[in-house]
Amino acid sequence: MSWKKDEDGDELGALMSIDKSAVLQEARIFNESPIRPRQCRLLLAKLMYLLQRGDTLTTTEATELFFSITKLFQNKDMSLRQMVYYAIKELSEISQDVIMVTSSLMKDMQPKSDDMYRAKAIRALCKITDVSMLPGIERFIKAAIVDKNQAISSSALVSSYHLYGRARDIIRRWSSEVQEVLSGKNSSSGMFSFGSSNSSPSSNGIEQYHALGMLYILKQNDRMAVAKIVQNFGSSSRGGWEIKNPLAHILLIRYAMKVMSNDPSLFNTLCSMLEEWVRYRSEMVSLEAARAICSFDSAPQKLVSSAVSALQSFLTSPKAAVRFGAIRTLDSLALKNPKAVQPTNMDMETLVSDPCRPIATLAITALLKTGNESSVDRLMKVMQGFLTEITDEFRTIVADAVRNLCVKFPQKHSIFLTFLSGALRDEGGFQFKKSIVEAIIGLAKTVPECRETALGHLCEFIEDCEFSRLSVHILHFLGVEGPTTTMPSIYIRHIYNRVVLENPQVRAAAVLALAKFGSAPQSDGKLRSSIQVLLKRCLDDRDDEVRDRAVWALRFIPDEPKRARYMRDDSTYSMQALESRLVDYLADSTNNFKTPVSISSVPKVSREQEIKQKSQKSESTGTPLLSSNSNSTSLNTGISDISSPSTFNQSFNNSTNEEVLSELRAIEEFESFGEPLVSSTHSVGLTEPETEYTVSLYKHIYSKHIVFQFRCTNTLNENKLEQIYVDMTCNDELVEDSLVPISVVPIDELLYNEPKSSFVAFERVNSVDDDPNVEFNVVVGDFDCELKFKVFECDPATGEKLDPEDTGFEEEYSLESFDLVESDYILASYIPNWKSVWETLGGSEEKEANESNEAFRFPSYSDLQSLLDNVAQILGMYPASETDLVTKNKVAHQAVFMGMFMGKIQIIVRARMTFAEGSGATLDLCIRSEDSAVRELVMSLIA
Amino acid sequence: MSSILKSLLDWLRSLFWTEEMELTLVGLQNSGKTTLVNVIASGQFTEDMIPTVGFNMRKVTKGNVTMKLWDIGGQPRFRSMWERYCRGVNAIVFVVDSADQAKLDQARAELWSLLEKPLLSTIPVLVLGNKNDLEESLTVEELIEAL
Repeated sequence: MSWKKDEDGDELGALMSIDKSAVLQEARIFNESPIRPRQCRLLLAKLMYLLQRGDTLTTTEATELFFSITKLFQNKDMSLRQMVYYAIKELSEISQDVIMVTSSLMKDMQPKSDDMYRAKAIRALCKITDVSMLPGIERFIKAAIVDKNQAISSSALVSSYHLYGRARDIIRRWSSEVQEVLSGKNSSSGMFSFGSSNSSPSSNGIEQYHALGMLYILKQNDRMAVAKIVQNFGSSSRGGWEIKNPLAHILLIRYAMKVMSNDPSLFNTLCSMLEEWVRYRSEMVSLEAARAICSFDSAPQKLVSSAVSALQSFLTSPKAAVRFGAIRTLDSLALKNPKAVQPTNMDMETLVSDPCRPIATLAITALLKTGNESSVDRLMKVMQGFLTEITDEFRTIVADAVRNLCVKFPQKHSIFLTFLSGALRDEGGFQFKKSIVEAIIGLAKTVPECRETALGHLCEFIEDCEFSRLSVHILHFLGVEGPTTTMPSIYIRHIYNRVVLENPQVRAAAVLALAKFGSAPQSDGKLRSSIQVLLKRCLDDRDDEVRDRAVWALRFIPDEPKRARYMRDDSTYSMQALESRLVDYLADSTNNFKTPVSISSVPKVSREQEIKQKSQKSESTGTPLLSSNSNSTSLNTGISDISSPSTFNQSFNNSTNEEVLSELRAIEEFESFGEPLVSSTHSVGLTEPETEYTVSLYKHIYSKHIVFQFRCTNTLNENKLEQIYVDMTCNDELVEDSLVPISVVPIDELLYNEPKSSFVAFERVNSVDDDPNVEFNVVVGDFDCELKFKVFECDPATGEKLDPEDTGFEEEYSLESFDLVESDYILASYIPNWKSVWETLGGSEEKEANESNEAFRFPSYSDLQSLLDNVAQILGMYPASETDLVTKNKVAHQAVFMGMFMGKIQIIVRARMTFAEGSGATLDLCIRSEDSAVRELVMSLIA
Repeated sequence: MSSILKSLLDWLRSLFWTEEMELTLVGLQNSGKTTLVNVIASGQFTEDMIPTVGFNMRKVTKGNVTMKLWDIGGQPRFRSMWERYCRGVNAIVFVVDSADQAKLDQARAELWSLLEKPLLSTIPVLVLGNKNDLEESLTVEELIEAL
């Protein structure tokens, strides 16, 4: 074999200088007869090397090559043959007419062919075949799946996995074969001796791993079936399936996690399975099971502690990867449940000096989360020591850990601040610096005592900051916080330095920050005039934006009302709503873009609410830095499929208002009604959440109409509904007179888990008198509803009717009745500058106050929170930011709610509540609005 | 001893006299190409076959001659690829279903277009009228006339 070695050495050198045209030239030897296997093989290797290196072949070149390669078919040389299969697979994407080799490959995959070729032939065949040819080879692949040879079985499974996206219907029929492999009935021999080229992990039972992945994508839409798969494995001692492969086991644990989060009823059974698996002999499996347990917030304490003790034993493992996995899991658990991690503190302490820096970092951050105040000093010191030795990624983790710690131990702020400012001075990338800056800002926000020191550190940082974005961020923060400090002028010096030294982007931000100092109500006349002087100097800046901002600031700084309007307006537009308006506008081609998008149709929200929304969003989508690639051990293409069902469910459950509204807008009939003035923000469930069909109601009030939107969801995957509508009857004659039904919009067909809406529209008329002002006629009443539809049986997988002739049968489903109430007419909307609106409405010497007052007494309430919640619910109005805080045992509270009646008339409600032990709660309601009728209406809600 | 000598001689002779030939079989679909190859290679006649998708390759050794038979699918989608497999072979066999008169025109057109290819001009073509055991089949003369 010595010749082989030499050749390898030569080849390696030769590989460097391979070029495409030479290879294509040489490809002529493929056509020679007789074939010279060794030369051909080397040439194929060169070709594959080229492709892997990223060289591209044109379609003609690839086709030419492909057909030459087909000439090498069925050569006796084993290695050449394997190279040919490989080359075909690689070229199948670029070459034309690849189906040419179908017949030949089919011959190679027949049972009478050599086992060695069969697996490769199956893979190549599945790669070149198109969907129309699949029925022809289906029989062979099905047989291959259950083949005794695990290489053949695996390659058939993996190939069908890849084909699944293109030919769902066909591959779905193979599930019984897949299941057979999974159950391990065809005990795999595992004995096959491949040539030296084979490097497949011949550990036993790999086909079970592939089969599990395959079965999961076949069944992923059927929760019950997935649960069954998982449970089947759990009962291995009682005749269930046995897990042979650790990778399959890990996949199984992941699926079990999914089942547990979807189906609470199985939680306990699966928990006990996980507990068993934590003690499994394979480290990998045990780690994964522990990780699964730690990811559940609701896992029982006993289970968590068994997981933690398993992880603890891994902490002393000689393998770095195992230590890393264990400490990472403990670190993430420490964030949620520090108590559970505490018993491992001793072991983690030893890891602090681990030679592998990432492990040490995670150990320290975990210790910081679990540790008490006394250990913080020491750990921070250790951390400072090796902060320079670790990569930015881990430094970011450290910064985040410190940030969390700040919240936990506010009294230690000086240590943290020193640490952070030290880190700020170190070399580091943008992400690292950003997380440090955010940590400092967070600290300044949560711990008022250290605010000025923190601002000082930030000022120092921007003096020498290479990241414009961070400078801008800090300048903004200085502008917001600076004016309220005792000595605003010291920050101004730093800010003005930016104007002198930095690039236009930062200069503009600095100008804005200066303007904020100038316009803050705390600023005195002297400061204001010096700011104006500074801004005047900016007027001859070279950059347009900087000049513009300076001019603008100079205009409003001397003028109090303008200052309030431009600098202290705390409302903003709802970005989500704005986005959907713009998307609708672009999608609507019939309109020819004639009607512009009106900004007034976008609801306003307060900044605080927007920040809240944003953070919610980032919580649901963002994944912690390190766990994001936790899936990478599973089948390479299946990852996205596996994670998709859970995200799907999420989006389905909190279907945003915008989705609902866009469904409404899609109905042409309602266009003549105008824009809805008030749309309910929260849906009312008309069914129990766990029924076959769920219906939730949204109400939309137009100036002269009312539209009820029934959003229906079909939760049965073997049923398909058609012609769905809601039959509404009103229990009140008066209401019947004043609401004239106009139209019912049914849902044509409702498939599994695809919510759609049916609509019922009424016109509001005035029955009592001839008051033309229909708009303010508030109709209230309660309605009974019945859902009517036709049911068809359908194939759960495709959603096609089982029997196309089926005419379905009619069914009725009675829904809970609901009320149309006054608060449905009030749009819960944030009123910008509501304090001044409140003052204006309050009247003055020459104007009468637009206000109604009334006091109520509620002896039955036992605390203020429940009263507040109730009032908030009844009013259905927008709570001003400070209202939602009620501390326990508080005896008095003031809440402010605001809204717009019919989306037009502003209403502000101030509720003063007091509570006394024994006598119950009192509510003093003060309502201000221009319209007295509206005030009465709101008052009547509470009364 | 003599037998050993004889086998050695045989082997030597085969080394020098072994001839390798390549043949390509083309023709419209269902004209019997794959069946023909099977008969040549294994002597078995199987009546119903699935259409060839792409090509089949068989190596047949008869005496000192090893024949490589390329059996190319006859469906329209593969016809454009006939030429590739005809290039450089020793002979082309064009198989015609002599019993299927409706497709004769088509067969003629394909044959002529194959013959017109400049790269194939030097390669001998054998036109093989298959299925002449069927009653409605054409005679040799009729076939020549038709093509």
